[in-house]
This record gives sequence, structure tokens and C-alpha cells, in this order.
Amino acid sequence: MLATGILLHGFGQRYDLPASLFLYLFAAGGVVVISFVLVVLFAGDQVGAKAIQYPRRAVPSLLPIARSPWPRIVGGLIGVLGLLAIVVTGLFGLPDATKNPAEYLTWIYFWAATVILSGLVGNLWYLLNPWAAIYDAITRFVRLGPVWKLPNVGIWPAVVTYFLFACLELTTGMANRPWLVGTLALAYSAVTLAGMIYFGRDEWLEHCEAFTVLFGIVGRFSPVEAERDEHGRINAVYLRPWGVGLLQPGPTGWDRVLFVILMLSTLAFDGIEATAAWQDFTVTLEPTWLPMGAWGFFIVKTTGLVLLTGAFLLIFIAFMEMVIYFGNRPLDLKATVTAFALTLVPIALVYNAAHNYSYVMVQSQGLIPLLDDPLGKGWHLLPAVAAYRPSFALAQASTVWFAQIVLIVVGHVIAVYLSHLKAGEKFRSAQRALLSQYPMLVLMVMYTMTSLWILAQPITAGG
Amino acid sequence: MNRYRVPIVVAVVLVFVAAGGILIFANQNAGGKDVTINLTVTGATSMSPDDPSAHHNDTVTINVTSDTDGDVHLHGYDLHFETKAGQVVSHTFKAVNTGRFEIEWESTSRHLGWFTVS
Repeated sequence: MLATGILLHGFGQRYDLPASLFLYLFAAGGVVVISFVLVVLFAGDQVGAKAIQYPRRAVPSLLPIARSPWPRIVGGLIGVLGLLAIVVTGLFGLPDATKNPAEYLTWIYFWAATVILSGLVGNLWYLLNPWAAIYDAITRFVRLGPVWKLPNVGIWPAVVTYFLFACLELTTGMANRPWLVGTLALAYSAVTLAGMIYFGRDEWLEHCEAFTVLFGIVGRFSPVEAERDEHGRINAVYLRPWGVGLLQPGPTGWDRVLFVILMLSTLAFDGIEATAAWQDFTVTLEPTWLPMGAWGFFIVKTTGLVLLTGAFLLIFIAFMEMVIYFGNRPLDLKATVTAFALTLVPIALVYNAAHNYSYVMVQSQGLIPLLDDPLGKGWHLLPAVAAYRPSFALAQASTVWFAQIVLIVVGHVIAVYLSHLKAGEKFRSAQRALLSQYPMLVLMVMYTMTSLWILAQPITAGG
Repeated sequence: MNRYRVPIVVAVVLVFVAAGGILIFANQNAGGKDVTINLTVTGATSMSPDDPSAHHNDTVTINVTSDTDGDVHLHGYDLHFETKAGQVVSHTFKAVNTGRFEIEWESTSRHLGWFTVS
């Protein structure tokens, strides 16, 4: 018997009905047909730098807002209050995850909803980051300069932090313990603030703070683009189609590739570990991990996550070798892999939204009645909401399925389109660019099919 | 051809989305019937049957019999069956929420089964 009480998604339960077979086949067939249409239509497109030029429209009315300090003041205040609420309710609230606001704020409002909203409207973390807000508030009164220079570590520290956070959510089985969530939030705050003070604000945030790196990538998918002058001052705000910001040139490196692959693999693992196939697999391995006690299941799941990430990475690199081979142009593998890795981001984001749709729509409402008594002390701060029960109005099975297939297909279309433009930039002729895209197309169809397959699997208990 | 490419892609996606919508919403179960489900909990650890189901808008009566005093919790509908050994505890409700809802022994969070409303 598997360890029970280990909840899905870090905490809370999924109510989704798995998509039925006919819907899976319909969506999978649609993905293949639409991919074919895209390839036929965009064959013979532009090459070189022109290929990644995208339309954007200046929105002068947004410029005063972007330049105003108020969005960051208000956003920072919300972020700091949210962090405080997580720490206080996590440490001093009820131990039952479903009755503790720290769990809702961390795993639904921050981890699921803020990522989805940032992809939809823009990098909200830029406004909400509580550690940046605290640092900025302190530096209004105290002069703080970097004490040490951060070594050239790329974003490897952020990769490690992101992986550890994913382990907390997916493999430790302890994400549903509010005291741990509160303690880790406090500890991470201390480390982040110390890092910003000793190594410099932006240096630390851009290289070591996993959420800043994550939301930076997610924000590139969003439709809002701010252009800065040489002094870092915003001089224009544009609206652009979703996803095209991922075409912008950026730093290259295996650290950045692995970060994007982790975005895909952690989400996939979150879905896979709720399936009967995973449950059967862990049952088969019981003689190995059961004698190790509580650590046994953690080790099995963490190994599973590492292997899945490794498999995703190796498959991606193998396909990129094929892309370069068909493109018939000697290219730096690292730079090419980094550039194309970003074209997978739409698939990760839409799967995130599809996977977490009902979680965000229904379970998020569980926070509302807790506002009456957030620490479980018998208070009646907001008696009007104490008896609130979550509404399923936007999460009936048919609505969820419809939202899921629309999201998955739209994300796939955006990814294929971006990949095609990126190939146009990298390869010399339209014919070569098109040839190079066949392996990439196969890879994207595979990723999308995997997402659909996971959504069609029955959910099992105990993870 | 170039100027028509994006509209063609948008049109194909829209046709796909519309077809998907028709497929999904036309295949919804009618429901609206009276359904009675009898569940037996043994040792606060197992339940039979462990996968009861109903259709959307059915009027469902769940009768729980347990050999142990305790609390059987149906998630999603947030119904608690306060069991006394050997006695039947019942709740009747309309299955307005679709999904797979866990049934557990509340005091130990022991998973007993799933209640599916499709």
C-alpha cells in the first residue's frame, strides 16, 4: 500500500475529471493537423534577422503608469503582506493544510496563479517581489552597496533553487505542512536579502533568485514590452502578440536550457505522479524503498523527477542536433539549443494553465472562509465569509476540458510558429530553415501529446 | 498568399475549437435521476464499493455503514458522515459539481475511495 495523505500539487486535491478518450484523440489529431497546416503555410518564409522581427504597437497611455513608482509601491506592499501572511500563518496557524492560509497563498495564489497571470498580462513578479521591495525600501534610508562580486555562475544557483522548490512541492510529501512552508519562506527571505546586500540587488536577483529568473522567462511570453534607454529608464511601452518576446536575443548557456527544461519536466512530473502508471511503478519498487522508511518514497520520487528531467534534456539535445544537421549550417550547439529552448516555453505555460485550471478556479476559493479566522484561534474577523463554500461554476468538467484543449492547442501553435521564425533566423535559406523544422515539429508534437496524455489519465490517491 | 497565412491559421484553430466545443458540450450526460449509493467502511481503512459514481444533476443519496465510530468525509461537496458502528448514516444532495472527489476517513486522512460525478 502506498503512503497515503501525501497530497497532490504540494497541497490540496484535484477534482478534475480526466479528459475522455474521444477528446484526447480529437485534440491529438487536431494538433497534428494544425502543425501540418502551419508548416505548409509558413514554408518559404523570411530568413536572417528579419525572420524574428515581430509586430508591436506603442501604447503611450501606459508610459506614465510604467514610469510611475506607484505600481511598484503598491505591488511591493502586496508582495510583502503576502510574504508576511505566509510566514505568520504558516508558523502560528493550524497544522491542517486545508485550514491554513499559508498553503493557499504559496501553492495556489503565488505558484499557480501568478505564473499564469504573468504569462497572460506581464511580469507581475517585477511588481510583487517582496524581497526587492524590502531592499528598495531599506536603501531609501541606508546606503547599501555590494560587498563582494558575484562569481560568474550564470543562473546555476537559480536552477538549483528552482529544483529544490520543485522537490519541496512534488517529492518531499511535506509541502502540506504549514510550519515548514512558513519556516522555508522565512529562511529563503533571509538568504535572498543577504545575497542582495552582499552581492548587489540585481546581480543576486538575476542569477540566484529562482522566481525572478522564472518570471523573467514567463514575462517574455506576455504581451507587454517595456523599452528602456541607456540609463535604464522606460521610454516606451508596447503591446505585442503573445509569445513573440521569446524571440528576443538573450544570454546563452546550459544553465538557461536546463531551467526551461525544468519548467517542462516539473510540470509533467506533477501530472505523471497522479497517474495509475506512476502508482503501479512505485508499487513495483516497494521492496526497494519501503525499508528506508519516510526517506524511501522521497528518494523514489526525487529520482523519478531527476530521470524525467534528464530524459527531457537528452531528447531535446538529440532533436537539436537533428535541427542543426538539417539546417546544414555549422552552429554553436549551446547557443542554438538555448534559442530553441525558449520556443518550448509556450507549451510549458499552457500546460501549466490547463493542468492548474480547476485548482486555481475552485481550490483557491478555500482561502475566503479562512479570512475570518486565519490563525484558527476562534476569531471572527470577517463573519460574513466564514460560511463561504467554493463555487464550481467555472470548473464543471465540460468547461475544464474545453479550456484545456483550447489552451493546449493555442500553446502548441505559438510554439511551432516561434520555432519556425527562430529557424529562419538561424539558417541561411528558407528551404533549409523549413527542413530544420521537421525534427522540432516532431518534438513539439511529442511534448504536446504528452501533456494531453497526462490530462487524460485517471487521478489516483496518494501520489 | 503571405497576407492570408495568419487568418488561415486563426480560422483553422477556430474551427477546431468550435468542433471541440460541440463535441464536449453535446456529450454531456443528461443526469437528473434519483441515485442511491450504499457504502460500507471496514476498519476505518477500506470502503466498498470504492468508486461510486453519479451523473451531473442526479439527486444522490449516500448511505454509509461503518464498523467503527468516526467521520467519513466526501470532498468537493464537503459532506461529513458521522458514523456510529453498525448504524447507517445518510445524506441526500444534488450532484451539481462534476469531478472526482475523494472520500476519506477524516481523523487519519485515510483514502477510502473516489466519488465521480460525470
